[in-house]
Amino acid sequence: MTTAIAIAGKGGVGKTIIAALLIDLLSQKGIVLAVDADPSANLNLALGLPLEGTVGGVREEMVKDIQKQSLPTGVPMQDILQGRIRATLVESDKVDLLTMGRPEGPGCYCAANHMLRLSIGRLTRNYDYVVIDCEAGMEHISRQTAGDIDVLLTISDPTVRGITAAAAMKELIQELRTKVGGVYLMINRVKGGPPREIKEAADGLGLHLIATILEDPNLADLEVKGIPLIQLPPDSPLQLGVREIADKLKL
Amino acid sequence: MTEAFPVDIGPQYEGDVIRKADLYVEFGGPKAKSKFELVTLNSPAEVEHGRIEVIGPDIFELEEGGSYPLAILIDVAGERLEKETEPVIERRIHMYTNYIQGLYHMNQREDAWVRLSKDAYKMGLKSLRDFGKILIFLYTSELSVIERVAITFITDEKRVQELLPHALEVYHARDERLKGLREEDVDQFYGCVLCQSFAPTHACIITPERLSLCGAINWFDGRAAYQLDPEGPIFEVPKGELLDPVKGEYSGANQVIAERSLGQYNRVYLHSAFEHPHTSCGCFQSICFYIPEVDGFGVVHRDFAGKTPIGASFSTMAGNTGGGRQAEGSLGMALEYMRSPKFLRADGGLYRVMWMPKEIKERYRDVIPENLYDKIATEENATNTDELVEFVDKVGHPWLRGEVELP
Ligand code: SF4
Repeated sequence: MTTAIAIAGKGGVGKTIIAALLIDLLSQKGIVLAVDADPSANLNLALGLPLEGTVGGVREEMVKDIQKQSLPTGVPMQDILQGRIRATLVESDKVDLLTMGRPEGPGCYCAANHMLRLSIGRLTRNYDYVVIDCEAGMEHISRQTAGDIDVLLTISDPTVRGITAAAAMKELIQELRTKVGGVYLMINRVKGGPPREIKEAADGLGLHLIATILEDPNLADLEVKGIPLIQLPPDSPLQLGVREIADKLKL
Repeated sequence: MTEAFPVDIGPQYEGDVIRKADLYVEFGGPKAKSKFELVTLNSPAEVEHGRIEVIGPDIFELEEGGSYPLAILIDVAGERLEKETEPVIERRIHMYTNYIQGLYHMNQREDAWVRLSKDAYKMGLKSLRDFGKILIFLYTSELSVIERVAITFITDEKRVQELLPHALEVYHARDERLKGLREEDVDQFYGCVLCQSFAPTHACIITPERLSLCGAINWFDGRAAYQLDPEGPIFEVPKGELLDPVKGEYSGANQVIAERSLGQYNRVYLHSAFEHPHTSCGCFQSICFYIPEVDGFGVVHRDFAGKTPIGASFSTMAGNTGGGRQAEGSLGMALEYMRSPKFLRADGGLYRVMWMPKEIKERYRDVIPENLYDKIATEENATNTDELVEFVDKVGHPWLRGEVELP
């Protein structure tokens, strides 16, 4: 069984570092497929992995080859696509990374996206965990290219604006065809305890607050030195927070 | 039956991926320079059944973790086998290899990629000969038309490279031949309703001579998609009875259109833009549109930003054509449909085309008959219908001169 966890939040709330830490944590329990579905994030850097190509790039290339009719006949396009996606997968010991890349250009992608869904679906079932770092619009989830989700973790900073954005994401996802298990809120960068107003706002919007994380003093140093963020010390607030979530959600 | 082999065999292993961390060695794939796989049909006398040869180092002689060159040459013989079946048998390499526990196959032809897991190696799969034995077992037990099989594995880089040009030639010849597949040669077409979210009454009917509107799914892809996911949006369309050989009306396609358009339409002509044309979704690569002033067609594709001689751009026309309707004289289609021998056959085919963007005209130069090429106007010759009328008159377009006979 594969457990799929999507992590969403607007830019700057610490979403990618939380995704990376969760991936690192889960990789101690099983094999993880990390999916970078946010073109402006650099999940690969946070994980300390290279970048070999993107699913978006494969899709564009396929569409081009289809127009040129340069694909071999008699070989299903689905198989060709699957092979090309496989070739962009960055493999490491316990974690493989799939980078979705830029969203599609103009033109028709119904068929291409359908094939992508099948290919990615076939790939993901080989893993114990799939962790998806999503951009706020959650395009890949809405297009179902990333498959169904067991846990949606929305991340916010301790501002009412951030919480409202998280609630919008929750609503967005409930309108979609994608099946989603539980939706949870995590507030990052809290100084001291979580402010009461924020807690009330979350309650009012029907968000299930699962954890609050203190501003992490160790982060800046790593970023300055360009060290992969998963090397945060184990007693770092972010590490502790991610462990707390994993325990609470029994991941 | 599988006790004789070091590893287990069965369709249950099909979706299993072998990750780099579990890899013993890999052959082919992005990291190996030379690789290919090729099935060749031979006479029974030439195929020594069961013979397996390994040229170059075998698995147990290779260093763990590496990527190595590989050619898989499979010779088959069988009384009822035909040359046309070679690609189908070759594709089975993919299927059968993935049936083998601890082996993983990706891609095809000159991109072939095989991975062997550490576990399988430990279980005793240490020679390509074992791989060969299993393949031969599967070929002969699953495909009764195959009477004899012999396999050669080449891991010697130089030898693989020497043979590669021949393989590429064979692939090319095959593509050309498969492109010649006709509607008459098959019993099934395929349908797709992926676009129904935007065009609720639309269904693509995909035949060997009619590509899907988006250009992304040909008949082979339709067949593969259906086999992979029979409940999915791509389904089988029994051809049924041929009701009109010229217009391309089949009882099977009619029935599917009636079902899938929820009763909106009950007939479809696959090869005419009039009366009951194919429905248009919104994904089509191009539009073929009737121009009354010249009694002919224009073709415009999605990337053409300018206006066509009738004054509308692609996007304006797309709005009137799409949505899942059968729009008479306005047909959404894949550009490649122009290569089909049945392209709008009932209406005069390419000989009825009077205008297309220069880019398209050049791209399809090889399919446009020589005596027609200069008679089709582009945006450089005509930007409105007056200019178009003048142009086709001047050059003497064969359709207007009455030189084209309808079938
Ligand atoms: S245009 Fe393409 S995606 Fe749309 S229904 Fe036809 S085949 Fe399917």
